[in-house]
Amino acid sequence: MRSLDWSEIRVGDEVTPLVIDVNATVIAAGAIATRDFMPVHHDREYANVQGAPDIFMNILSDTAYCSRFLTDWAGPDARVARIAIRLGVPVFPGHTLTYTGSVSAVWRTEDEGFVDIEFTAVDDLGEHVSGTATLGLPLDGPT
Amino acid sequence: MANDEVTAPGLDEQLQALVGQPIGAGGPSIGPDPVNQPMIRHWAAAFEDANPIYTDPVAGAASRFGEIVAPPLMLQTWTMATPKITGIRERGGSPVEGGGAEVLRLLDGAGFVGTLATNSEFEILRYLRLGERVSATTVVDAISREKRTRLGPGRFLTWVTTYVDDAGAVVGVQTFRILKFKPEVPA
Repeated sequence: MRSLDWSEIRVGDEVTPLVIDVNATVIAAGAIATRDFMPVHHDREYANVQGAPDIFMNILSDTAYCSRFLTDWAGPDARVARIAIRLGVPVFPGHTLTYTGSVSAVWRTEDEGFVDIEFTAVDDLGEHVSGTATLGLPLDGPT
Repeated sequence: MANDEVTAPGLDEQLQALVGQPIGAGGPSIGPDPVNQPMIRHWAAAFEDANPIYTDPVAGAASRFGEIVAPPLMLQTWTMATPKITGIRERGGSPVEGGGAEVLRLLDGAGFVGTLATNSEFEILRYLRLGERVSATTVVDAISREKRTRLGPGRFLTWVTTYVDDAGAVVGVQTFRILKFKPEVPA
């Protein structure tokens, strides 16, 4: 797993897309791994009472997939410095969730290079997540 | 999705009095366990995140971080309360008994029993290492007036959580917004 060289990243570069085939196990595994035991993320009957047709992905899983999407592309030397997401439509079992994004800015401080990214995640109902993030990378290239 | 506003007299004043206050009365939430490899491995497996710095000591040592580090977005997970599974449905999904946030009790009591997370923003100041203990202090930042939403009448609640390490130094800040709503199940 190689890291990107900050000096070679340009505005407009595409982040490698991430596709998640979502099923009930994916949703429940993510909820429990983030220690979120709200029944709407693992109990369909309970979700129905709350007005949802099925269990749906929790937001801690969303931010987890966002960070995976970013570091799968930028590599293990990338440091997630900031991530901000807004949730749109929910993700239900059976959906395909696709993350895409691109570089919106490249900047640096004295000792670190930074990349700003704008991204979205789209599922079968539409836009599930839209967000922005900032990654930090070493100035002297990959280790 | 929030067009016409409906006011519930009295509740607004009670809610606004909580803005700027800590969300719970019990002081900071201290992570029940320090940052540890089993929870990291569980997280990495759930999200199929193959970033080797989370689980491989050799890769961690070779990286800019110099050792294994926790996934940065696990920050909130470290301080999540240990749940009491029995009765979780009856408590409206709350993982713990009593001791819940006054703001949530007020909203639940007014019928806003549904919860939907809408925004999450993290500033990560540094990555955590194995063995570190995290604690979090959460302050109510804003509570909206009652609005019509596609899920039913609701109120948006924003809180800001500051995460600190053993030395009290800030490692991350999270701004989180949820919608508390009165569920409208189609007949």
